[in-house]
Amino acid sequence: MSRYLLLVLLNLPFILTGMVSAITRYKLNKSSRRRLTFQFGLWLVILLGLSLAQPLYEWLYSHELTQTEPLSLFDVIQITAIVAILFIANRTRLKLDEAERRLNDLHQELSIRLSSK
Amino acid sequence: MKHGKVCVIIPAYNESVAIGGVVKAMHEALSHSGFNGEIIVVDDGSIDGTSAVAKKAGATVIKHILNSGAGAATATGLSFAEHKGYVLAATMDADGQHLPKDVIEGFKVMSASGDDLLIGSRLIDSDGMSKVKVLGNKGLSLITYVLFGINSTDSQSGLRIFSKRSLTELRWKTSGYEFCSEMLWRAKQLRLSVNEYPISAIYTEYSKSKGQSNWNAVNIVRSLLARRIMELFG
Repeated sequence: MSRYLLLVLLNLPFILTGMVSAITRYKLNKSSRRRLTFQFGLWLVILLGLSLAQPLYEWLYSHELTQTEPLSLFDVIQITAIVAILFIANRTRLKLDEAERRLNDLHQELSIRLSSK
Repeated sequence: MKHGKVCVIIPAYNESVAIGGVVKAMHEALSHSGFNGEIIVVDDGSIDGTSAVAKKAGATVIKHILNSGAGAATATGLSFAEHKGYVLAATMDADGQHLPKDVIEGFKVMSASGDDLLIGSRLIDSDGMSKVKVLGNKGLSLITYVLFGINSTDSQSGLRIFSKRSLTELRWKTSGYEFCSEMLWRAKQLRLSVNEYPISAIYTEYSKSKGQSNWNAVNIVRSLLARRIMELFG
C-alpha cells in the first residue's frame, strides 16, 4: 500500500470526527457559526494537505524545488501523532471549558442559596 | 419623583476598612433619590470580616465560598439581581473610589436614555487621577479596541449600570479583572446599546493601596488575548 494512502487512511478518523463534532456542536447551539466555520475549515485544510501531499511532493521534486526523500513510514507515524494530539487537545479544551463553566455556575448558585438562609 | 426597583452591587474582597462607609453613604444617597433600592455586597471569600461589617451597615450580603475574582463576584451579584427582578442594577467599587451621587446619576441617565449598559468613565474628566493610572487605563482601553473593536474611554471602570436586558443576557467567562473588557465584547456580540457618562474618582491613600497595579495590566492583556484566540477554536 502506498505510504501516502496509509497517511490519509490513518488520519481520516480524526479528521471526520473533528468535522462531525464541529457540526454537531453548532446544530445543538453549543457553538457559533463563526466557530463552526473555523473548526470545519481547520480540519478541511488538514484533509486537503494530507490528500495532496503526494502530487505536491512530486511536483516540487520534478521542478527541482526540493531534494528531500519521499515519505517514510516514520514520517507517516509522526504526522499521524501530531494530528491525534491536535484532536485530543481540542476535545480536552472544550471539556475543560464546559467543566469550568459548570463549576462557576455551581459556586454562584450555592453562594446565593447559602447566603439567603 | 418615584422610580423603579434598583440595586447596587458591590463586589468586595478584604474591604472591612471601607465597606461600612461605602454602604452607608450609598443607602443615604438612595433614600434621597426616589429610587427604591437594595445594596448587595458580594463578599469574595474575605478573611477580614467584610461580610459582618457590610451586614451591620445595612447591606444584603452574599458570601462566596471560594475567592474567585472580581469578575465572578460581579456575575454572582448580577445573577442575584436578575432573580430578584430588579429593573436596573449598578456595580461600584468597594474601596470608596466612586461617589454615590454618580451611581444615582447613572440610574437617571439610564432611565432616560434606555441604553442597555452604561459605563461611568473616569477618563472623560480625569482630574484627580494620577498620570500613571490614566496611562494604564488608557492603555487597556486601547488594547480593548485593538482586540475587540470597542471604543471606550474607560474600559476598566467598575461603575456600570445594567438594564433588565443586560441582567438577563449579558454573561462573560473570565473571572478576574479582565471581565471589564470581556463584558464590553459580549455586549457588542449581543448588540446591546452601550454608552458612557462622566464620573469622578476619589483616590484616598486607602484606595491607592488597594488599587490595581499597572503590572496587573500585563495579566489582563495576556488573559484577553488568550480568550480572543481560544474563542476561534470553539
